[in-house]
Amino acid sequence: MEGRPLDDIALVERAKNGDVNAYEALVQQYQQLAFRVAYQVTGDAADAEDAAQEAFVNAYYALGRFRAGAPFKPWLCRIVANEARNRRTSAQRRTVLAERALVAQASGDSAQSPEAAAEADEFRSTLVATLRTLREDDRLILAYRLFFDLSESEMAEALDCPKGTVKSRLSRALARLRAALPADIRMPSPAGETNG
Amino acid sequence: MADPLRIPDVVLEQALRDLGSHYPYPPTPNLASRVRQRITAQPVAQPRRLELWRDPRRLALVAAVLLVLLGAAALANPATRDAIAHFFHVRGVIVSRQPSPLPSLSSVTPLDLGHRTTMADAQSEVSFDIAVPAELGVPDAVYVYSGIPGGEVALAYTPRAGIPLVKQTGLGALITEFRGDLNPGFITKGLGEGGTLEEVSVHGDPGWWIAGEPHMVVVRVAGQDQPETLRMAANTLIWEHGGVTYRIESGLSKADAFRIAAGLP
Repeated sequence: MEGRPLDDIALVERAKNGDVNAYEALVQQYQQLAFRVAYQVTGDAADAEDAAQEAFVNAYYALGRFRAGAPFKPWLCRIVANEARNRRTSAQRRTVLAERALVAQASGDSAQSPEAAAEADEFRSTLVATLRTLREDDRLILAYRLFFDLSESEMAEALDCPKGTVKSRLSRALARLRAALPADIRMPSPAGETNG
Repeated sequence: MADPLRIPDVVLEQALRDLGSHYPYPPTPNLASRVRQRITAQPVAQPRRLELWRDPRRLALVAAVLLVLLGAAALANPATRDAIAHFFHVRGVIVSRQPSPLPSLSSVTPLDLGHRTTMADAQSEVSFDIAVPAELGVPDAVYVYSGIPGGEVALAYTPRAGIPLVKQTGLGALITEFRGDLNPGFITKGLGEGGTLEEVSVHGDPGWWIAGEPHMVVVRVAGQDQPETLRMAANTLIWEHGGVTYRIESGLSKADAFRIAAGLP
């Protein structure tokens, strides 16, 4: 669960003044996001866990330099991604295979017919596998926007780039993803989908 | 069969958003308790003798320390001393620049500040008047190290509003005072490429402002081959007045460090 920005600001200020409980509350709120951002970079659960933990510890010690009132979430994402880059292993192919299997387990929309569900699973597996072949910064920008729902200004902060360049970077990443998709990819049929 | 090049952005974006909620992440580990443990580790480590030379895993570190000390030895050589005479303006401290990057020392490296005591007892154990900065008030912990002539006192302040936590010490601010006139070369500081050294004047007395990348501190006692303490230090303001060398280590800016120094001799 992620906190509201106003709660974050209060927690960050308290943590800055040595309140460990306040910082623990921030970790609780953002550990899932931190772990998932790290996983997007490393593709390995153990590396992602190490990176997320190290990022939280480093962020704590860097709170003194954190601008009062600034959003915590993108700042944390930036630290996590940097930590994760330092830990990337070469276990990526193994990960892709494991992810293909996991996609099948993770879905299972009851509103779909077995055929439609299988089609959707296949499509998602292909997307996951294709995302894994992208450059890390492309994968990260797509994940920030479409998985983790960061705003443009939050993405600029997380990626440490000018806000004006976020849109074009995102669009280029999307184009490269599309180009990397297999030519025979099947879009799942919308019938029976419960799009949220 | 669809041509992927023809999938419109909006459709692809929607497909990715949908994937976001189905993405096969491994379960999120519970990091909160482990992070808490790490950041609440004893803020001021218990005095402990340095095992550096006996630990083969730290050979790189030993090499780096030797470089720092050799640099300091070169400075102490009369033949080279004149050229860098300003390095001796603060007695008790030698600063040397390192040509190679500094090794990273763990943030849990013990501070080795001596034994913990009260302010009153500390005063009876050192040969100078202990000064406490008005800005910070009574320290949260007082330590005395008696292994050098005149003794050394350390005033530890935990983090608080305006005094951020420093990773290298686990403290907000650390002030040390010792007889620099009696202990030349007690502290050797090694600065890497990312560290800045600026000559400053504190109340008209010569001093240095060391900032940027954390620098290496080696504390040695005359007559002993091994360093007593080796650790990385944060921003430091250091100066000497009346034979006593004062040192403020914190995460503060130069201006804020000077404000604290204003309450000291």
